[in-house]
Amino acid sequence: MAVPVNAIKAKSRKQRTKRSSVSLKRMMANRYLYLMLLPTVLYFLIFEYKPMYGAVIAFKDFNPFAGVAGSPWVGFKNFEKFFESYYFFRLLKNTFLMSFYSLLFIFPASLAFALLLNELRIKKLKSFLQTVSYLPHFISLIVICGMIIDFTKPGGIINSLLLGIGIISEPIQFLIQPEWFRTIYVGSGMWQSLGWNSIIYLAALSGINPSLYEAAVVDGAGRWKQLTHITLPGILPTVLILLILNVGTLLNVGWDKIILLYNPGTYVTADVISTFVYRRGVMEADYSFSAAVGLFNSVINFTLLVLANRISRKTTESSLW
Amino acid sequence: MNVAKRKLALLLPVLALLVTLVSACGGSNNEGGNAAEPSASPGTPGGTSAPVEGSRSVGGLQVPIVADKLELSLWSPSGGNFRGTNFNEKYSFQQMEENTNIHIDFQHSTEASAEAFSLLMSSGKLPDIIYNDLWGTDSGKYGAQGALLPLEDLIDKYAPNFKKLLDDHPDIRGQITSPEGHIYYLPNLVLDSQDLTQMFPQVRSDWVEKLGLSMPQTTEDWYNMLKAFREQDPNGNGKKDEIPLVTVNLENIMMLFAPAFGVEYGFFVDNGEVKFGPDDPRFKEVVAYLNRLYEEQLLDPNYLVDTTFQTLTEKVTTDVAGAWFGWSGSYMGNFTTLMEGKHDTFKIAAAIPPKGPNGDQRHVSFRWQAAAHGLAVSSKTAHPEEVMKWLDYQYSEEGILLNNFGVEGKSYDLVNGEPVYKEEVTHPTNGLTNTQELLNHTIGGGSWATVADTRYAEQIREANGQTENPLEIYKDYIDFDAKLPPVQFTAEENEIVVPLMADIQTYVAETVNAQIMGRQSFDDYDKVIKQLEQMGIGEVLKQYQTAYERFKGE
Repeated sequence: MAVPVNAIKAKSRKQRTKRSSVSLKRMMANRYLYLMLLPTVLYFLIFEYKPMYGAVIAFKDFNPFAGVAGSPWVGFKNFEKFFESYYFFRLLKNTFLMSFYSLLFIFPASLAFALLLNELRIKKLKSFLQTVSYLPHFISLIVICGMIIDFTKPGGIINSLLLGIGIISEPIQFLIQPEWFRTIYVGSGMWQSLGWNSIIYLAALSGINPSLYEAAVVDGAGRWKQLTHITLPGILPTVLILLILNVGTLLNVGWDKIILLYNPGTYVTADVISTFVYRRGVMEADYSFSAAVGLFNSVINFTLLVLANRISRKTTESSLW
Repeated sequence: MNVAKRKLALLLPVLALLVTLVSACGGSNNEGGNAAEPSASPGTPGGTSAPVEGSRSVGGLQVPIVADKLELSLWSPSGGNFRGTNFNEKYSFQQMEENTNIHIDFQHSTEASAEAFSLLMSSGKLPDIIYNDLWGTDSGKYGAQGALLPLEDLIDKYAPNFKKLLDDHPDIRGQITSPEGHIYYLPNLVLDSQDLTQMFPQVRSDWVEKLGLSMPQTTEDWYNMLKAFREQDPNGNGKKDEIPLVTVNLENIMMLFAPAFGVEYGFFVDNGEVKFGPDDPRFKEVVAYLNRLYEEQLLDPNYLVDTTFQTLTEKVTTDVAGAWFGWSGSYMGNFTTLMEGKHDTFKIAAAIPPKGPNGDQRHVSFRWQAAAHGLAVSSKTAHPEEVMKWLDYQYSEEGILLNNFGVEGKSYDLVNGEPVYKEEVTHPTNGLTNTQELLNHTIGGGSWATVADTRYAEQIREANGQTENPLEIYKDYIDFDAKLPPVQFTAEENEIVVPLMADIQTYVAETVNAQIMGRQSFDDYDKVIKQLEQMGIGEVLKQYQTAYERFKGE
């Protein structure tokens, strides 16, 4: 603080005590509510914020036996190691493309799927379709990848299908050809998550006041007009918030799925930052290095999230904060 | 805001994993500083070194080791080779407790050993003794970090049995010594050279007979045999469904063929000089050979995708696989047992290492006398002397018998001074295989810090109806000079090798596979070599050469 005049100081102190006693009184009045809030606050402090301290090992030469505090500082060495890596730009490109394609295809597909389901008037068919589309979400990733491997084999159903309708004349070895990897990754991702992702839209859709539709019908609006004038504007905030969240995780790709599916034949398009870190940091217990890469990843994600939020707030007035 | 942050944190698996690791060791920060110093100095006068009353000597070691029962903790994964639940249920360890008066509190991990091990080490809370199967590279690293106790002095003072082994087999010392000159772990030892072979080529010999061929001697023989497998329908179902050569990874195929061309897929020694296979001009011939196999569909076209032992087993047991490269027990023994009674002629035979066009012929898939798996002592132990003595007991004649054969009268009898397994062990009636049954009695000499007894494998093999030892033929081909010994790097050397090799490995795996599959031409292999030079293979080789010469000097 600069050099405030004594009187002001005294006054503000007085005000402050008054204010704090008021808020204390209020807190006492609502003490049970605060008590109920306490576990959540503690959860975040202990499990979400305290561990963030561990991220400093990205700037250290971490030795578990010296502890975080005892390990020597190395500055940006771990980051430099990563940036200097021969494959750095390929990793960045693959990571970005893989997530970008996922966002580009899966995000609108889930929305479209939800809208289509919403237009279905046969209740039973609707719930049947919903259930069927959720199912892949509940299958373990290992099983999913096993299925993908089986499906894409030369004798698998995808090849049989393509051969059957005459699109190809010879089976394609999908999983060893780098040009197919992203398609398989995004395609299977869509199959996995389409139904599940649509739930939140369906929830938002059910929140739209039915009287709006009734009024629109009275005014002579058809199904299409209802969609563009009531349904879409009605769920737009939800869509935008989900979009912002998705942009915020743009550099996070499902590394476990890639590790289960990729092989040296497809590294060219399949190797991403997290798989690289897995091979490099986790397998060789180079914790500091992995932490540096992880931190780099989150900083970019965080920046993207803030940017997306800002753009959204400026242009549409819906935003996360 | 919180939601967004939480989501970020949740969606960063790598970071999250690290965060757990780090928070797990947060608690040990205070002690962390002292970790480097052993908490009790070994050999302090007034310790328990005076022999216990009524003790006897086992190869110079006095047992029982302590007068009053002492408890030591030992960490070990329980899966894989070990099976069984708590090791204290094994009769051998119960007997050992009686003999040494030391109770071992076994702490078992249930997860995959590598992950569980690195979690244990990063937690900072260490037991007295730690089992690991990667001590070859890990012990130097963790030793330098101060997690492990250097054992040389302790061995000199308290471990007469192990010391005698080191003196009788001078090669072993180098294999377990860190660059700084410390011994941080006691290894599993194999002293009979015929037992050193680990993996070897295996061929459906009934197919070979059926097609009127003979077992392959050269790489050309291999080509012809595989081609015959592909074209002449050896399984006789009228379909061309045979996959002549199957594998779970490229490494195994390379172990089979690369030595025939004078190289290896990884690092090897050529006249005292460390080389990296793909960086050697001769490697082009390996790639060309494998490309020929791949193009003619002699090598499994799915080899990059079918990478589990399960898919390989399926191919072998459905009678479509002709040859592969694998272990004696888990491959050859397993397949034979699985096919028993299900196939009239199913038979597998071991093939000798193929001879290449330039006359190279050698076997390099062997282990060193000292294995990378064994027991290390944590720097936090309060009883370094007793720990060392207990470890030494594992290498005493008594300990070796207990670890390999179990308790006399329970699992084996002495016949003319030779231990012979009881019928209940070799032919168990409780639904277990004999290897499993044996593991109820003992830890198994091949996976513990002890000496593996040849008679163990011999008797089990005979019990399984395998009269001849498939490993015998490799004795003459083992090339100790060509295989890179288990060299260890200093922290500075590691600093150079690890990041460079991360990119080089990726490049090599990518390029070699692409060339084998014909997606990339191998004609201008010079380009690959040039690229490797650019990526710093020269720098890496320099470190390897230093480490190798240091190893040789020891």
